Amino acid sequence: MNNIMIGRFVPGDSWIHRLDPRTKMIGTFIFIFVMLWANSWATYAWSAAFVFAMIRLTKQPFKLYWDGLKPIFWLILFTIILQLFFTPGEPVLFQAGPLKITVPGIINAIYVMIRFVLIILMSTILTLTTAPTSIANALESLLKPLKKLHVPVAELALMLSIALRFVPLLMDETQKIMNAQKSRGMSFSTGGPIKRARAIVPLLIPLFVGALQRALDLANAMEVRGFQDATQRTKYRILSYGSEDSKAFAGLFIFSVLFIAIKFFIKY
Amino acid sequence: MVKAIEINNLKYSYDEQPLFNDFNLNIEAGQWVALVGHNGSGKSTLAKLILGLLVADEGQIIVFDEQLSIESVHRVRAKIGMVFQNPDNQFVGATVADDVAFGLENTKVDSSDMPQKIDAALTVVGMQDFKDREPHTLSGGQKQRVALASVLALQPKIIILDEATAMLDPDGRMTVMETLQQLKQQFGQNLTLITITHDMDEATLADRVVVINDGRKILDGTPAKVFSQRRVLHDNGLELPFANELAYQLDKKPEDYMDERELIQWLSTLNK
Repeated sequence: MNNIMIGRFVPGDSWIHRLDPRTKMIGTFIFIFVMLWANSWATYAWSAAFVFAMIRLTKQPFKLYWDGLKPIFWLILFTIILQLFFTPGEPVLFQAGPLKITVPGIINAIYVMIRFVLIILMSTILTLTTAPTSIANALESLLKPLKKLHVPVAELALMLSIALRFVPLLMDETQKIMNAQKSRGMSFSTGGPIKRARAIVPLLIPLFVGALQRALDLANAMEVRGFQDATQRTKYRILSYGSEDSKAFAGLFIFSVLFIAIKFFIKY
Repeated sequence: MVKAIEINNLKYSYDEQPLFNDFNLNIEAGQWVALVGHNGSGKSTLAKLILGLLVADEGQIIVFDEQLSIESVHRVRAKIGMVFQNPDNQFVGATVADDVAFGLENTKVDSSDMPQKIDAALTVVGMQDFKDREPHTLSGGQKQRVALASVLALQPKIIILDEATAMLDPDGRMTVMETLQQLKQQFGQNLTLITITHDMDEATLADRVVVINDGRKILDGTPAKVFSQRRVLHDNGLELPFANELAYQLDKKPEDYMDERELIQWLSTLNK
């Protein structure tokens, strides 16, 4: 259960860890946006090189990133198969009814796989090196303009950070309830899809009841510690944009310029 | 004598069932008071009433000369810190430091003062080396000590612990109780401590023990005085602290003449 932990943060002291979370967030978006224009081996190779350089900079073992990829393995496989069998073009290598494997199909499948893997790796870098609170803070700061439209940005950010904080707890609870029910003869992994779906219902009810109880308790604890209004609070983690962040953006800019150059001048 | 908490003629009904009817209690500043009672005796409800998390039907609650009302509830809460039973459900921050910071952020403490205040509060409870840890990597006892630090950072005059050790293993329970004793030593008369518990061994640490059942005060006095009333405690669903119970059992002796066989039989009943 632990290896599908979303937004898992590993404390560290690398250059990436110390960047402003806003820089990391915007940077990740820019990278993904640029990378979506890749259409050749050279552009994908250049994007991959950039991602792996970033991974090295986080000073975290590659296994952590591999763990981040595992949960979406099936999704990747599914899109690869779609690309493989349904891309039209010449030359056709194999045909069986409407399914055919073509050379462009194979190339496309590999491209899509690389694209998927790189996007996941890049977002893993973000979540691995940034504390959930910092992500929530960054989001609050980036969405600040929406306050003018009366969007409760501060409340949403606080909700997000509390939600992230309770993810591992609710996962544990799910596991406990499943074990308790398994020990009384419930099976979650046999039978057809309808039977399996039914088995989820008695799992969800205690989970929801437990979550609501936690919410009430937490609300009490928050109020007792002086919580009144999410907008009227000071901040422990102050976001500070520094020269290192400028360097990060400069690096990203160089990456993008070279990316465009490679896209137009190298035809492989 | 300064009164930390004064409760006069408190009335409170839960689901139309009267829980408190004309309840009175005074707690002196600087005291350590243990509120004991079995489950459902109303002791946790009392804590929530004092903090204004529940609203009394009638009566007064006065905290350091300030009467609890809708207008004063936030000022009253600022004087009181509370640690709840479930260690997970009161951990707001993503890390230990963030959790201690939560209360400071609410009370608009300047960002630049926070690290020092957080360190100081964590040092008091001996958790300063766990600053960047996430809650799910801590034991129950450690989480409760962080909860205590979160409360201490706000410098309350009163700390209420509502069954704070009930979900802990014996080890965690011991460290929390040791931390409390140390706190009491460090802050002395500047800290009023109220521990709500059904663990009698915990209650023995207090200066004063108040036994509550069905919203009524049953016994009130020093631990020595209260724990001499074994019968009354039993009638209200409570046990003596282990040491007292042992002494009581050892003190029992047969009143009538017994021959050898009868004595053996009598001795065997002691083991039950």
